[in-house]
Amino acid sequence: MIHFYHVTKRFDQYSTALHDVTFHIEKGEFVFLTGASGAGKSTLLKLILRQIQPSDGQVVVNGRNLKSMRRSQLPFFRREIGMVFQDFKLIERMTVFENLSFILTVLGIPPREHKKRAYGALRAVSLHHKLNAYPLQLSGGEQQRIAIARALINEPLVIVADEPTGNLDPDLTQEIVQIFAEANMRGSTVLIATHDRELIEQSGRRVITLDRGRITDERVAVPQRAPRVESIFGIGG
Amino acid sequence: MPHRDDALPQTTFSYFFREAARRMWVSKRTSFVAVAMIAISLFIVGAFLLVAENLGRAVAQAGGKSRVNIYLTTDATPQQIAAVDSWLAAHGEFAGRRFVSKEVALTRFRQYFANLSDVVGQLDENPFPASFECEIAPAVAQSPAFAQQAKELRAIPGIDEVQFDWEWVEKLKKLINLVNLAGIIAGGVLAIAAAFTIANVIRLTMLLYREEIDIMRLVGATERMIRGPFLIEGILQGFIGAVAAIALLFAAFAAGRHFLAPHYSLLWSFLFNGFLPWRKLLPLLAGGTLAGYLGSWLSVRESGEEEPLSS
Repeated sequence: MIHFYHVTKRFDQYSTALHDVTFHIEKGEFVFLTGASGAGKSTLLKLILRQIQPSDGQVVVNGRNLKSMRRSQLPFFRREIGMVFQDFKLIERMTVFENLSFILTVLGIPPREHKKRAYGALRAVSLHHKLNAYPLQLSGGEQQRIAIARALINEPLVIVADEPTGNLDPDLTQEIVQIFAEANMRGSTVLIATHDRELIEQSGRRVITLDRGRITDERVAVPQRAPRVESIFGIGG
Repeated sequence: MPHRDDALPQTTFSYFFREAARRMWVSKRTSFVAVAMIAISLFIVGAFLLVAENLGRAVAQAGGKSRVNIYLTTDATPQQIAAVDSWLAAHGEFAGRRFVSKEVALTRFRQYFANLSDVVGQLDENPFPASFECEIAPAVAQSPAFAQQAKELRAIPGIDEVQFDWEWVEKLKKLINLVNLAGIIAGGVLAIAAAFTIANVIRLTMLLYREEIDIMRLVGATERMIRGPFLIEGILQGFIGAVAAIALLFAAFAAGRHFLAPHYSLLWSFLFNGFLPWRKLLPLLAGGTLAGYLGSWLSVRESGEEEPLSS
C-alpha cells in the first residue's frame, strides 16, 4: 500500500532530511514510525501526502507513483488518505461540525447526510457534544480528536497520523489508539508517527525507526505484560 | 475511488455562493471598494448611454417628417409676406404651410427657454423673425427637384434664411454616435480599472484565507472547489456594482426630471424624456458581472498549488 524505494529528500545542499529510505507497508497493516525530533518522520509523511517530492527514489501509495502523478489527480489521491496533522490543521473560523461538513462537501456527500456522519465521527472520539464549538474553544487534546474524527470520517484506504497522541493523557491515548485499531480492522492501512515508546512497545505492531534520515531499525514490537494498550490490540494476557 | 466532483454537484454551487457571500460580509470594506468602483464605472457609462438614448428619441420623433423653416427678414413688408405665401401655395410640396408671426415666435421662445425669458424682456424690440413652417414628405425633401425649388425660394425678396431640419437631425445623429463612443471608451477604461480593483480585492481575500486554502488542498479539495467561491465573489461584486449603478442612474434621472426639466429649457426636457430601456440596462448588468468575473479570474488563475520541487 505504501512503498518507498531508495527515497532521498534534500532541502538544500546542507540539509538532507531522508537518506536512501526503502520500506514497504502492505494493505491492512498497522505500522508505527518512530525516531527522535528531526529524524525525518514529518518529511516522510509529507512525501506520502505529496506535499513534497523526493529528490531521488520513488514513492508509491495505493498503486500510484507520486512522482509521475498529474497535479489534477492530487485532490482525488488525497481523499484516499486520512491525514492527522501534528498541528491539527482545523479551520478556526468554522465550528467543529463545519470542519467535518466541509470534508463531506469536498467528497460530494449530500448535505442531508452531513449531520449524521459528523455526529457519528465525533461520537467515535467522544466529542459529539462539541458539534457547535469552534476549535479555539477546545483544548489541545480535543482539537487532536476532532482532527482524528475528520481523518476517519470517510473511512479512508490509508490513515497517516503525525503524533496523534502527543497532546493526550494516557486514558485518551488509549481511546484514540483504539479508534485507529478499529479503523485498521475495518480495512484501513494505518501509519502512525509517534514518540510514545510505551505505546509502540505494547502494540505488538511493526515499528520503523528513523534516525537522522535513515532507517535504523525495522521490527515487530514485543509487548510486555500489563501495558495500558494491550487490550486495544488484543495482545498480552 | 471515483472522482465524484468531476461534475460539480448542486450542493457545491450552493457552498460557493454561501462562502462568497460570507467572505464579502467578513471583508465588508474591501468588498465595498470593489463594488463602488464597478458602480462608478457603470454609472458613467450609463449616463452617456442615457444622454444618447434621449437624443436618439428626439431624432426619432423628428424622423418621420421633414420640416422646412422659412425665416423672413425682420423688416419684411406685408406685401413681401403675401408674395412668399402665394409662392408656397403655388408649389404643392409647400402647401401644408403654417405662418408663425414674430409674436408667436417670441412666445415659443419664452416657453422653451424659460430661464432666458428675462434676457429677451430687457430688449427694446422683439428680435425674432416671422416664419413659415412647412411639413415636407422625407422622400420629396431629398429629391433633386426639391433642391431646385429651395434655391428659387431663397431668392424671393423678404426671405432671410431657409432651414431644413434634417440638417440638424444629421448633426444630432453624429453627436449621438460621439456620445455613445465617448461612453464606451470612458466606461471601458473605468471597467478595466474596476476589474483590476476586484482582482486586487480577491487577491487580498485569498491572502487572508491562505492557511485555509492550504488545509483545503491537503484534505483533497480540487482547485475548482477552492477557486469557486472567489470567482463567485467577484461575480457578485460586479453584479451588485451594476445594480447599484443602475439604481443611482435612475435616482439621478428621476431627480433631474423632477427638479431640472420643468424649470429649464427644451434641451433639459429632451434629456429627461425617458430612462434607459431594458435592452440597454441588461448589457450594463452583464458588463458589471463580466468585469467582476474577469477580476476574480485574474486573481485565482495565479493561485494554484505550487508543484512540489524535487530538489
